[in-house]
Amino acid sequence: MRIAIDILILISLFFAVAGTVGLLRMPDIFTRMQSSTNIGTLGVLGVIIGGTMYAIWQYSDYTMAVKIIILGLFYMITTPISGHALTKAAYRHGYRPKEDFVVDSYGEDLEDDD
Amino acid sequence: MSELMFGAICFVVLALCLIIRLIKGPTAADRAISADCIDILADMALILYALYTGRGIFLDIALVTAILGFIGTVIIARYLEGRL
Amino acid sequence: MKKTKFAAFLSTAIVCYLFWLVLTGQIISIFRGGASASVLIAGGAVSVLVALFSARFFIHDKAFFMFNPVRLFIMLFYLFFIFAWELIKANWDVARRALRPGKLKINPGIVKVPTGLKSEYALSMLANSITLTPGTITMDIADQDDKTYCYIHWIDVTAENGEPAGDAIKGTLEKWIRRIWE
Repeated sequence: MRIAIDILILISLFFAVAGTVGLLRMPDIFTRMQSSTNIGTLGVLGVIIGGTMYAIWQYSDYTMAVKIIILGLFYMITTPISGHALTKAAYRHGYRPKEDFVVDSYGEDLEDDD
Repeated sequence: MSELMFGAICFVVLALCLIIRLIKGPTAADRAISADCIDILADMALILYALYTGRGIFLDIALVTAILGFIGTVIIARYLEGRL
Repeated sequence: MKKTKFAAFLSTAIVCYLFWLVLTGQIISIFRGGASASVLIAGGAVSVLVALFSARFFIHDKAFFMFNPVRLFIMLFYLFFIFAWELIKANWDVARRALRPGKLKINPGIVKVPTGLKSEYALSMLANSITLTPGTITMDIADQDDKTYCYIHWIDVTAENGEPAGDAIKGTLEKWIRRIWE
């Protein structure tokens, strides 16, 4: 049981490290956003599942386990919303990457509207 | 079980690394997204610390921080889009 | 402002009450037989009050849609097996791209993908699923000539436009979401 919890926390740490390194290395705002989703999904889920198992196994404290699960559900609901809002806002505000996109249908359609 | 404490320290170190991006980030959206990620990593450290000490009060703090971070990110996005 | 229907109000109140039971830990004391009636009645009153004000933000068409157990079961199956597998695959892919030493191997672009979904719950669920998998972010949803299009930022563009890009991004996800909501 203890080993399983350790492995879950290690998986979570690995994806958090990958997301942090990506966030520091990626060249522009949109690709950085992709790396931040990496932290927000599997970097969270490992700790949530492992923490729930630990709260039940060690303390037999179901209130704590339910609170951790609700925290995880909250992250799963809000991470895509904030990512989507921030990406759209950055694009509409006029931030563009240094090297151009391979395809950019959104920009073409926005120009048609104006 | 001291691995929980090591995990919490690792998450805090990752959050400190992200402060580089928070200071350097060329645009406002970069700063917003790195602040959001610092928030998430600090919450993970809080969960692990709550499990280590066995006190549930830290989970309430983590929930409040998560809600505030989400609202802050969405409000910054609305402002950048020009609709606030 | 649309008028609040009674069915929408009732289903919102039920969901609020269940959520209150779980969040305050009352559900454990119900199972152990030690829940006091006055606390449960107070929670019911609060959830009715909340549902009275917030029902018209949540429910727009069919109210008791999600209480069908078959749909609920398919949704749980989708969330815990199909979507989890896609999530792990995409996470591993983006983590490998970020940790690879040397020059970054990325090829970003924004593609426009048609979807066949109609109901707004299904569309929001598809958009959230796409955003939650690392490597793809939904930027906007637009209606054009009776069809719905998603603009998706993709970290590694392998197909330029339309159907092939859509198959590569949301191949299995859209099939399962259509099975849940339509």
